[in-house]
Amino acid sequence: MNALRAIDPATDKGPATGRPAVEIRHLSKWFGDFQVLKDVNLTVRNGERIVICGPSGSGKSTLIRCINHLEAHQEGEVIVNGTELKAGMKNLPALRRDIGMVFQQFNLFPHLTVLENCTLALVRAKKMSKAEAKEIAMRNLEKVRIPEQAEKYPSQLSGGQQQRVAIARALCMSPKIMLFDEPTSALDPEMIKEVLDVMTALACEGMTMLCVTHEMGFAREVADRIIFMDQGEIVEEAPPQKFFGAPEAGRTRRFLDQILH
Amino acid sequence: MSFDLSFAIRIIPQVLEGLGNTILVTVLASFGAALLGFTWEILRRSAKPMRYLMRFVIDFIRSTPVLVQLYFMFFVLPYYGILLPAMFVGIFGLSFYYSGYLAEVFKAGIDAIPRGQYEAAQSLGLSSFDTIVFVITPQMLRNIAAPMGSYFVSILKATPYLAVIAVPEMLGSAFDVASETYRYAEPMLVAGILFLILALTVAQLVQRLEKRLMLSTRR
Repeated sequence: MNALRAIDPATDKGPATGRPAVEIRHLSKWFGDFQVLKDVNLTVRNGERIVICGPSGSGKSTLIRCINHLEAHQEGEVIVNGTELKAGMKNLPALRRDIGMVFQQFNLFPHLTVLENCTLALVRAKKMSKAEAKEIAMRNLEKVRIPEQAEKYPSQLSGGQQQRVAIARALCMSPKIMLFDEPTSALDPEMIKEVLDVMTALACEGMTMLCVTHEMGFAREVADRIIFMDQGEIVEEAPPQKFFGAPEAGRTRRFLDQILH
Repeated sequence: MSFDLSFAIRIIPQVLEGLGNTILVTVLASFGAALLGFTWEILRRSAKPMRYLMRFVIDFIRSTPVLVQLYFMFFVLPYYGILLPAMFVGIFGLSFYYSGYLAEVFKAGIDAIPRGQYEAAQSLGLSSFDTIVFVITPQMLRNIAAPMGSYFVSILKATPYLAVIAVPEMLGSAFDVASETYRYAEPMLVAGILFLILALTVAQLVQRLEKRLMLSTRR
């Protein structure tokens, strides 16, 4: 089983002790009358890699979108890097700079080149010089193995390339936490691996990651914990070995039967 | 009375006397209409009482004839002590009337931008101001270039309305020729052709602008 792990236990520092990166307590959220999240509790330590899976409509995307306040919650607490997220807070943009997010639909800015996509927030939000920003952008584009596309527009790239640019753009802000919302779900099958490879490399560097994904191979390779959600609740929470080997809940077992053919 | 080609050619300079005003009004009213329309649309997107007010204002502007609006500004307002020069009423009147339509153009241009663009900007920690200026507006301009251009052509073709408030423009000059000579065919044809040339020129310019925007903002 451990042969499947991409994380080298000899060099991996593992989750750090001390203040958690994310603390979610008794989180509940409604869309109108429909309750999407029901009393969710989750603590993510620095350096921890979490994979969240579950059927569609189970609230997994909403959960990670609450972590950078793209969705406002109605009940409970969301504390990120020691700061509680509240509606109408003034320093939200500053807090968000520490939380990178990668979307299913990439959401690159179509009117900007790859390089400009990466430097925009560095120059505008972090007030860096253009030269400084470019250096950081190129370093991160190299990290996702796409520096030669820097002058192109997103529409000229394949889906896999666009998603790697989106990862680089998020990394440029030097985030403490990375959120991935089904990063490979909109990709053609042959492009999934190039994106997962980049994510695996990131995980090996010790980045705190929360990934909503159905890529169970990836979950097995890098996750410290896998969370299974259904109908707005966390049903199962276990390290990969236990999650795949001996899941406790019947719902988890049925889900795994359906996706691991 | 048969059509007299040499007469038609002879009166071209007289008809062209109105050209300057036609172009001036078109350019300023287009600019004004875009500016007002954008303002209406931004206000329509703000908090509640303002949003409802702007919905009403925009519908009101679009649902009353442009001539009524011009007459009101030129003939009614003076009764209340507001005396505006004809040229100002002409430019402001057309700006005001077309701003209602351009507000709708801006609305469509902004609505067409996917939510993910805002979310990406937010998650990068960009301020609302930077998001509007660097992410939303450039994409909106690309979306609206074509429909906005066709309203600029409409504004050009609406300039003859200003004859009713005595702003000298191209159709007015043509009409002066007609009433002096009792010949209508030639002045109307000359004015019509001149308007056609102007309209096609504006359309060409807009198309070129659109292409340039597309090049630098392709999806």
